[in-house]
Parts: sequence; structure tokens; C-alpha cells
Amino acid sequence: MKIIQDVLAELFSMFMTDARMSLSALILVGVVAALLNYAAITPVLAGAILLLGSLVIVVEAAVRDARKRAAAKGK
Amino acid sequence: MMDMAHLGVESSAIVAAFLASVVEVVEAFTIVLAVGTLSGWRPAWLGTFAALGVLGLLVIVLGPLLGQVPIHDLQLFVGMLLLLFGMGWLRKAILRSAGIIPLHDEDLIFSQETAELEAETRAKQASKNWIAGLAAFKAVLLEGLEVVFIVIAVGSGHGMLWPAALGAAGACVAVLLIGMMVRKPLSTVPENTLKFCVGVMLSAFGVYWTGEGLGIAWPGADLILLLFAAIFLGTGLVTAQFLRKPVTLATR
Repeated sequence: MKIIQDVLAELFSMFMTDARMSLSALILVGVVAALLNYAAITPVLAGAILLLGSLVIVVEAAVRDARKRAAAKGK
Repeated sequence: MMDMAHLGVESSAIVAAFLASVVEVVEAFTIVLAVGTLSGWRPAWLGTFAALGVLGLLVIVLGPLLGQVPIHDLQLFVGMLLLLFGMGWLRKAILRSAGIIPLHDEDLIFSQETAELEAETRAKQASKNWIAGLAAFKAVLLEGLEVVFIVIAVGSGHGMLWPAALGAAGACVAVLLIGMMVRKPLSTVPENTLKFCVGVMLSAFGVYWTGEGLGIAWPGADLILLLFAAIFLGTGLVTAQFLRKPVTLATR
């Protein structure tokens, strides 16, 4: 049973190491889908938003983590 | 032109599977080595091959199943998972590259794993081989899950499942052979550089397939993947450089 728990924990951590980052990425995909379907933006613009949004999310996650660790070290 | 583009995607899929497999097998090998050194090679290999069998079965069963899903739904689903997974690897690789979180130390992990196994087998002397075999099985299974996901994810969208699986299996055999020859943790493998590359490639695949799943026809078709990879790589390197500075200043 322990091994199944470990497998499930591993699967969860594969996609949710940083819950805020994962949630932001899912929201980004939702926003791009909504823009494509309801705001009728061009597919190329939607693609650019998806790419730039992903870059911003990963950079924000790395900077936030670094600041958090620096603050914890400083305490 | 289109053939070249497809070749680019196909080789990217194989390279991503190969590099990810190298990273994960190096980590799993450290634990298999600890088991083999402490309890003999029979339980270590039994556990390893049993886990490889389970992982192979997952690819054989799940791969063709995904082939039944409509292509746009599959691309959106797999693209989103790849995006989450790739960005996770990239974030960690940036932090390791900037010196904010420590690099994987295979020698340290080997010592810790050996001490843990010694303590556990001392407590349950009767089932020493079982504990050792189970430790090897668990290590290979857990490290291999990520490789299975990458093989299925990058392989299923373009009918590249078997080449990607072969890329991963090739890396597995190569690392195990080298490991058996040197008989010590493979601590000189540049794990973080490989993780950086895999994170970049998976994030690029993630954006590309999520977009295709949403109905975006990318300009340049598959070739745009290379541009995405270059942009993720550049952003990752610049971020690591930016994060490295305050740490350098603080340690002066």
C-alpha cells in the first residue's frame, strides 16, 4: 500500500511542485481559450499570449521561490 | 521544408526522452548501487528489472490508448500536462543554476541510502533480501514514472511513441552499463544542465501542443518549436543570471 501512496505522491508532485505556478498556467490556458472563442482575437496573437504568459509565469515562480528562500535564510 | 520541420520535432522528441531518461536513471542507479553494495546484486537487479517491466507495461498499455483520443483533445490535454511538468523542471533548474537550491549530490544520496538500508535491514533481519529488492524496485519505479510520462507525452502527439521509448531505453541501458563499470555513484554527470535542457524542450512542446489543441495554426508549423525552445532557454539563462547576483553580493 505504501508503494501505491508513493506512486500517487510522485504523480501529484510531477505537475504540482509549485501549486501557484501550476494554477497560473491553467488559468492562462483558460484565458487564451476564452479570448479565441469569445473575443475573436487572431490565432497568432493568442499564441503569443500563451507563450509570453508561460514565460512570465515561470520567471515569477523562480523569483518568488528565490526571494522566499532568501527571506527564510535572513531570519 | 515540411519534412525538415517534422524531422526537427521527431528528433526533439527522441532527445527529450533520452536526456530525461539519463537524469532519472542516474538518480535511480545511485539507490540500486547502494542496494547492490549492501545486500548483493541479486535483489538489486530483481527489483530493477521488475520495475522496468512495470514501466514498459505502462508505455505499452497507455501509449496506444491515447492514440484513440481525438487529436485536438489529446494535444490540449498532453500540452497542458507538458507545460506544467516542463515549467516545473525549468523553475528548479533555474534555481539550481543560480545556486539557490543545492545541486543533486549523488555521493551524499548514496551514503544516506546506504545508512537507511542498513538500519532497516538490521531491524528486520529475516527479510533482508526482500527489503533490498523492494528499495531498488521503488527507486526505479518512481524515477521512471517521469520518463514514462515524457515518452508517452512527446511520443503520442506525432506517432513518435516507439522512437521516444527507444531513446529512453537506450539512455537507460547506457547509464546502467557505465554505472556497472565504474561501480560508484555517477556524480560527474551534469544533471542540472540536462534538466535545464529537458525543462526547456518540454515547456516548448507544452506551448506548441496546447496552442494546437486550442486551434492555433502556428506560423512555420513544427519549426516554431525550435524558436520556442530558444526563447525558453534564453529566458531561463537570463533569470538564473539575475538571481545569481543577489546571492553573490550577500556572500561577500
